[in-house]
This record gives sequence, C-alpha cells and structure tokens, in this order.
Amino acid sequence: MSAGREVFVVGAAVHPFGKHRETPADQLGYLAVSDLIATTGVDPARVDVGFGGSVYGGSLLAQRVLQRVGISGQPVFTIENACASGASAVHLAWQSVVSGAADCAIAFGAENLSSLGGGTLPLTTADLEIDQGMVMPAAYAMRAQRYLNDWGATVDDLTSVSVKNRANGVDNPRAHFQSPVSRDDVENSRQIADPLRLMHCCPNSDGAAAVLLCSEEVAEQLNGPRVRVAASVVRSGRFSTGYRDMTWPDITERTAAAAYAQSGYGPEDLDLVELHDAFAVAELLHSEALGIAERGKAHAEVTTGQFDRDGRVAVSPSGGLLSRGHPVGATGVAQICETYWQLTGQAGALQVRDAQIGLTHVTGGGIFGVDNGACSVHILTNL
Amino acid sequence: MQQLSNFAPPPSSAVGAEHFLTDGSRVVLRVTRCSACESSWFPARAQCSNCASTDLREELTSSSGIAYASTVVQVGPRQFHAPYTLAYVDVDGVRLLAHLTSADALAPGAPVDLVLAQIGADDDGPLLSYAVAEGAR
Repeated sequence: MSAGREVFVVGAAVHPFGKHRETPADQLGYLAVSDLIATTGVDPARVDVGFGGSVYGGSLLAQRVLQRVGISGQPVFTIENACASGASAVHLAWQSVVSGAADCAIAFGAENLSSLGGGTLPLTTADLEIDQGMVMPAAYAMRAQRYLNDWGATVDDLTSVSVKNRANGVDNPRAHFQSPVSRDDVENSRQIADPLRLMHCCPNSDGAAAVLLCSEEVAEQLNGPRVRVAASVVRSGRFSTGYRDMTWPDITERTAAAAYAQSGYGPEDLDLVELHDAFAVAELLHSEALGIAERGKAHAEVTTGQFDRDGRVAVSPSGGLLSRGHPVGATGVAQICETYWQLTGQAGALQVRDAQIGLTHVTGGGIFGVDNGACSVHILTNL
Repeated sequence: MQQLSNFAPPPSSAVGAEHFLTDGSRVVLRVTRCSACESSWFPARAQCSNCASTDLREELTSSSGIAYASTVVQVGPRQFHAPYTLAYVDVDGVRLLAHLTSADALAPGAPVDLVLAQIGADDDGPLLSYAVAEGAR
C-alpha cells in the first residue's frame, strides 16, 4: 500500500470536547467541518470524497454533516469501527488520495455520548461476554491486574500516567478536562474496577474533529501549512477463544509494524505519540507494542519522565484521552489534528520542541475473542 | 473423573444456556476443537474461525481451571447489581469470561471450579449461568 503518490494533511479543526448534551453528533460534526472549510479556504466543490466516523451517530451521519457545507452530491460514507472509527475515516480518505481516485478528501469524526446517559459506554453488540456483564473498564482492569502481576509494576505507575496526561491537558483548550490532578486525587477517586479508579479512566465526552487530505498539487493551491502522511494503516483484531497474553496488544504491534514499514521510520524516530490511553494502563500496554518502550518497562519510562512533553518521546502531549475525553468516533481524528498542529508549529503551549515526526494510535472495540476489534496508526511528518 | 452422565443442559432461561451442561452444582463447557488446525473454540461453532474448516469435534471440558485475571466491577449493567466480580479463566484450552462467586478478585494463577450460580437478577427473576468459584489448591 505504500506505493502511490504523496498525501498531505492541509488543515485540521476540533470542536472542543466536553459535555455538549444539547448538541447532537451531526451538529458537532458540522461545527468542526465548517471550521475546517473556513480555515483551509477549500472550495467545497473541490472535495472529491468524504468520510465520517462515528459509533452512535446514526445512519448517513456523513451526509447530514457534509451537505451543510456544500459537500453534497459527491461520494460520502459513514464509517463505524468502534474507537477507531474516526481514524478509519481518515485512512479511507488517505486511500482515496494515494490511489489517485481523489485529489482532495475530507474526513471527520463526531460523537455525542451524553445523549446515551451516564455510566460505562454501552456495548450494543450482544455477545457472550457482554451477557456476562463485561464493560470496557473491566476489560482494561483485568489487563492491568495481569500487567502489574507479570511485570512488577504497581498501581502507583498507573497513577503516574494519569497525573502526566492530566498535566499535559491543562493548556489544551480543546480538552474535556483542563485541570491537573494530584496523586492523592487519583488515589482517592472512586473504584471503578480494581485496580482502576475513576481518574485512571477517560471520560465519555461529546465532540468532533475534521481534517482535509489532498495531493501535492491541491496542497500547493491551498497554500496553507501542511504535513505529509508517511503512513496510514488500519488492522482488525485476530479472533481467538484460546489462551493468549492479554498484556501484549498484538493488534497494536501489527498495525505499528505496517506503519513503520510503510513510512521508513521506526519508533526511535518519533518525536511525539498520541496514544489511545482510554485507561491509564493502556499507555503502558500500547507504548510497548508501539516499540517506544521495552517489554515490561513502560512504567519506568513514565515514572522517569521519558514520556513527558520534553522527554525522550512525548506521549500524548495534548493530554491524551485522559484529558481530552473520548467522543469515541472523533478521537482518532482529533489525535491527527493535534499532531498536525504540533508539526506545523501551531500547538502553542502544547508545543513539543522541534517536533518533526509524530505517530497517532487508536484501538478499540468491546467484542469478545479479540483484544481489540480495530486499530489505526498514522505517522505524520513535516520532513 | 466426574460422572458426565449426571450432566444435562441447564434451564433454557439460564444466561448462555446453550454453552454448558450442569449436574446442578458443577458445570462443564461445550467446546469445539478444529481437526484441521487444533484451534479450540468456546462457544462451540460449526466452522473454525481460524482456518474455516468445517471438520470440528464437539467436546466437553472438565469443570476446573485457572484464573488468568479478575476484577471487582463497581459500575456495570443494572441486572448485575454492582459490585460484582469477573474473571478470565482458562479451562482445557479455552479462555472464558465468567462471574466469580467471591466478593474479591483472585490472584492470577489461582485454581477455580466451574459452578452453576446466580449472576444477577432482572425483572423476570434471578439470572442463572455458569460461574467460577475459588478452587481447592
């Protein structure tokens, strides 16, 4: 899939994540897309194809959003791939441009979770684990129990992830939570599924994000800040009901390996990573599978500051899902927006110094028999 | 060796009733093994999800296993009346998710027995299913 022409991200927009109870997903998506059109100055007739990612946004969400800004009549698709829905929409936009089928493609993600009520994310695909009471925090709690048991990490290490990422989110005006938390705050927050407490879990949020992808020719016409898509990859989970190591998310390893091969970059080249930290333990599991930490050692990277904004590799300098929140289908697009701003020097107080190469990672899906149902990795660069 | 002749399907109202047999207290699982690639599947299936072979053997597991991981869930669907305890358990080549009958999580590697237990209650009454109890070492 790497053979093909170069593809660029030429604009990004996020409608701030948070609680927008009265604003449905299509309106949130419209606000992000409208901002993107204004920022890039793209003529809607110039957009060849559109993809909208959402889990709970309903039928024809992409049409309901894009037709409001004049992208109407072109091929338009609504994409569902659990937490990877938005990144999957971006991947399909990339496929369209890299193949030459399109010169300019828009991708967005939009979600309103408040309308579903409180509590854990509803898992709507009845299967035998959901019938037994499985919820996403329980799945990550068991991975956490096993990781701590197998690799000598402690609950304190999970707390360090929450404290770091919440500190990163303080200066992000798009984040659901823009306040720091202390170790005591995390340790005294209520139990959700041991060893995970509330502040080891990301909030359910509402929000939307959008990006514009295009060929070099269109990028030059639009004449704004741009970054190159060095890799765009989606993989599905490998189904198994046998014994397997739940501290090793093979879906992330496989997706990242394909992205490294496609881009020619490796984990040692990355200046920043926006990682799917839906739960604090996820940063440990996935940073190892992404290759930015040695197996079983990610907790030491966190506690020694290697993943800080000014560390060896900045992990979730935007605040991650723990700060930004997780409007499921919008998350993957927002990560790409945050990385676009980093690589074009527009990240303000969030800026990672001299950032040249960034990786975004989402993975998700509450279905039995796979560690996650879908995963997407993008590598962006200003080189 | 338990007498499998005493094992029969649970009441059809049980959660996952088609997936196990019980003698009223212990539980054995209905699994399939692929004759072509030896993958193990729970719940049982007619086609191997690894190699797509339809040459599968139906088998019953024993009624004991090992806890892979477990947690006490404080926020969950209403019918389970949180807190409730869940575990991933390894039994004869398959890993399943089940309720633990104890209030506390078990350490990884703890032996467990498969039992018939009430795992919750909804408007129609108690929810019966397979579950796991801490086993004898």
